[in-house]
Amino acid sequence: MILPILGLLVGLAIGFLAPVTIPLAYAKLFSVALLAALDAVFGGLRAAVDEKFDNQVFLSGFFSNALMAALLVFVGDRLGIDLYYVALLAFGFRIFKNLAILRRCLLRKR
Amino acid sequence: MIKIRKGSWSLACATLVLGFMLAVQLRTTADTRADFSAQRAEDIAARLVETEKERDQLKQEIRGLKSASGDAETGDEVRMRAGLTPLRGPGVIVRLDDSSRKARTGENPNLYLIHDDDLLKVINELRAAGAEALSINGQRLTGTSEIRCAGPTLSVNNVRSAPPFEVRAIGDTDALEQALKMRGGVADTLKVWGIELVIETADDIYIPAYKGALTYTYAHETEEEVAP
Repeated sequence: MILPILGLLVGLAIGFLAPVTIPLAYAKLFSVALLAALDAVFGGLRAAVDEKFDNQVFLSGFFSNALMAALLVFVGDRLGIDLYYVALLAFGFRIFKNLAILRRCLLRKR
Repeated sequence: MIKIRKGSWSLACATLVLGFMLAVQLRTTADTRADFSAQRAEDIAARLVETEKERDQLKQEIRGLKSASGDAETGDEVRMRAGLTPLRGPGVIVRLDDSSRKARTGENPNLYLIHDDDLLKVINELRAAGAEALSINGQRLTGTSEIRCAGPTLSVNNVRSAPPFEVRAIGDTDALEQALKMRGGVADTLKVWGIELVIETADDIYIPAYKGALTYTYAHETEEEVAP
């Protein structure tokens, strides 16, 4: 558990120090990608607790989910379909579900 | 604490990327919030209204004091305001010419020519910026001057002239120039049609006097009436 938290802290530090800002036009895409990444990390944590963790599945899911979510929202914008809200709903729903399962697993173990 | 047997390195990689994205997103939203603080805009607007009120009050005070001290405007100043004397001073020279672009087939070629309303817009903008004296192609603009399309030419003070037009204005050089160059302003609009507009500032501009008729046939002076 220490390594992932360390990773998070280092990532935060890099993000705050690096002179990177997202242009306003892409802020929407970026926030969807962020949500997808958050979802993937929670999914990974859950799998790790369940002892069903698979490296390949997790890493490919993490990156492809984030990229595909951003891509879909981008394409939706061009087509005039607000896929943004769909992505928010889907990922938000999954995050909460994973959290609930994570909580239950932890309670049962104790 | 959660115990992770497998994949703690890949989780660490993922959380590193996640942390980076989180930080960037946090900073971006913080930036935009700081930029578009509506509260501040409202504050400033309120202060502007207050200051304008104060200014108007002070103006009235000045007017009152002036009339009390009996300092009537001299004949010279009246003549200057009426455009009867040639003037010199700092200001801008604006040169306007028809568009060099050819109208495409099916397009109205009139769009690429200078019209009276284009010049009126320029004059109006200059007056709003505090121009004290104006002339178009050597014709001094007075209170009764017209700016009107007369076939392919333009009539000012009943004198016709053809493009290119030269508008001269005496006033605050910076204010006059900025007024025309304002984003979405006259210069921007005319540029869309390719109409050439060159603004030149100068420290010493000559503006001739009004040379037309001075007599009023129909109007005559009267006592001041109090509005009901």
